[in-house]
Amino acid sequence: MNPYIMSILICNLALGAIITAASYHWFLAWVGLELNTLAIIPILAKHHHPRATEAATKYFIIQATASSIILFSSIINAWNTGTWDITQLTTQPTPTMLLIALAMKLGLAPMHFWLPEVMQGTDMTTALIIATWQKLPPMALLYLTSNQFQMVLLSLLAISSTLIGGWSGLNQTQLRKIMAFSSIGHLGWMISISLISKKLLILTLIIYLLMTTSMFIILITSTTKTTKDLGMMWTTSPTLSSIMMITLMALGGLPPLTGFIPKWLILKELTTNLLLPLATTLALSSLLSLMFYMRLTYVSTLTISPNTSNSPMKWRFKLTKPINPAPMIITTLLLIPITPLIY
Amino acid sequence: MASSLKILDAACLLKKCHWQNGLCPLFRPLVDSCNLKWYSSYRRPGTPPDRTPPWKKIDFSFQKGVEGIKTHFGRLVKEVTDHVKGPEGRPLKQYMLEQTKVAWEFRSQEDLEKWVISSDVEIGGKSEIYMQLGKNNQSALVYGNINTTVPRDGETRYSGYCSMRSKPRLVAFDRKKPYDWSNFNTLVLRVRGDGRPWMINIYTDPYFSHQKNDIYNYFMFTRGGPYWEEIKIPFSKFFFTSRGRIQDNQHALWLDKISTLGFTIADQVNGPFQLEIDFIGLFCDAAHSEETAYELYERNPKK
Repeated sequence: MNPYIMSILICNLALGAIITAASYHWFLAWVGLELNTLAIIPILAKHHHPRATEAATKYFIIQATASSIILFSSIINAWNTGTWDITQLTTQPTPTMLLIALAMKLGLAPMHFWLPEVMQGTDMTTALIIATWQKLPPMALLYLTSNQFQMVLLSLLAISSTLIGGWSGLNQTQLRKIMAFSSIGHLGWMISISLISKKLLILTLIIYLLMTTSMFIILITSTTKTTKDLGMMWTTSPTLSSIMMITLMALGGLPPLTGFIPKWLILKELTTNLLLPLATTLALSSLLSLMFYMRLTYVSTLTISPNTSNSPMKWRFKLTKPINPAPMIITTLLLIPITPLIY
Repeated sequence: MASSLKILDAACLLKKCHWQNGLCPLFRPLVDSCNLKWYSSYRRPGTPPDRTPPWKKIDFSFQKGVEGIKTHFGRLVKEVTDHVKGPEGRPLKQYMLEQTKVAWEFRSQEDLEKWVISSDVEIGGKSEIYMQLGKNNQSALVYGNINTTVPRDGETRYSGYCSMRSKPRLVAFDRKKPYDWSNFNTLVLRVRGDGRPWMINIYTDPYFSHQKNDIYNYFMFTRGGPYWEEIKIPFSKFFFTSRGRIQDNQHALWLDKISTLGFTIADQVNGPFQLEIDFIGLFCDAAHSEETAYELYERNPKK
């Protein structure tokens, strides 16, 4: 793509998210969401492959529908209460409609069916943007309006997301789809705590973004797209292969890695608020996600696949996309000691 | 239901009236783009469109319903248990270690049921195609006759083709489940032909109907001898076509969502043909690193 056009699209992508996050009026929030959606559509369809076009079309339809539901709920609220303030969404059923629309935008189960297909239809870099940056605008709205939601609905979304994200990800061999289901699972954890502690919602989001970005950077650097490619990743970069193992453990929420922080604190908050069934279900369903992370670890690092490779020493060649993953990886793995500082 | 179809019919008629009379030119852009037909847009050339209502095409039967429920719930249970085992119902080790795979082989009548044969009889032609199991049930024998006589319907200009196509894989409740061939990069066919050229068609089932005519094709040239031959075609050689026309913008074939594979013979030569297929398999050739054999850059840049 023309670099000027690409830079304009990326600027608009950032601008859309910032407008939504910084807005006070529902209309401005909607404008930011639409700008964000429209800016990423050409990025999704950049390669002109039929699958990329299909992903862009699906993404557009879902996001436009969700944005229109958001606008509709805000209009109903404005009609009943006279206010367009984002934090004053009080008239039923507008908070429920808004929550469903935000779930559709984020890819929370049961409105998650588009996410794996869209991420699979694009390249790794665009999938990284969809899994990370595109979560920010709806999360901003969720942060502002979470007081209005009912705990029952939030719990249902959380449980279904973690269970479906874990169960569906078990059988996958395409890495982008695995990351999509991982995203669905993590969003389930975030939504469960959104009513109880907004600080923890933001902390979980930031840690999720760090871990997902690290993982995607590793996959982009080693140009791996399937589980089988992971089996030969050690030839490309043995160091990256070992680091990926630990990053996957962090994504799985194992101590003493950073990924354990949100799970630990969320379970603590949920038990303090006597939401024991929710806490137990979330903890058990995270085992499903851990299963497929362990599978990737087993395949990439713990075993050497006997598949033939033309060159067993690919690490001697320069990597085509030398992104420095070190800062991201360090934050993904080693933040537990500073937990009291960040929460 | 019937009343709603009649309303759609009336709307179609109204659309035609508007267009032909030009009474309301303002409404023309609105009505042109909407497709108000409730019947399929396909019609056999030379015949009027088939306006049979959908309920007349279905055979309602209680026995069939009960059998259907048993079949589909059985498939659902199998789907759930396969999901627990691993990718495509096999352990992960098998997925990681496999370098060859037999996708279709012809050893029994059930294997033949997975394929559909067709010819230009659909458009009024005279070609014939038959499929049966070969000697000792070790292969499938596809044979027939190509007849290039053009049907006299005033529309068709060419004729003379026969094809066989695999049925898409269906799981519970007739949902399609595409094949994931991303572990492999070559198609292997063990065939015994008669020297006639065939075309192999791979269909990656798209989600939207705009792309439903997109197929990836390549040629299969058979030898006429009594010996079996193993034809290996890398997937990078397949070119992209739509409705039989090669597209300018070529791209690599993505192997993670393959729906059907088909063979077509349409070499414009009148006469009998015969093809014996032992198996159709997949192979990962580590020495083959090409992603696509065709130029990906824009060959006629717009300026």
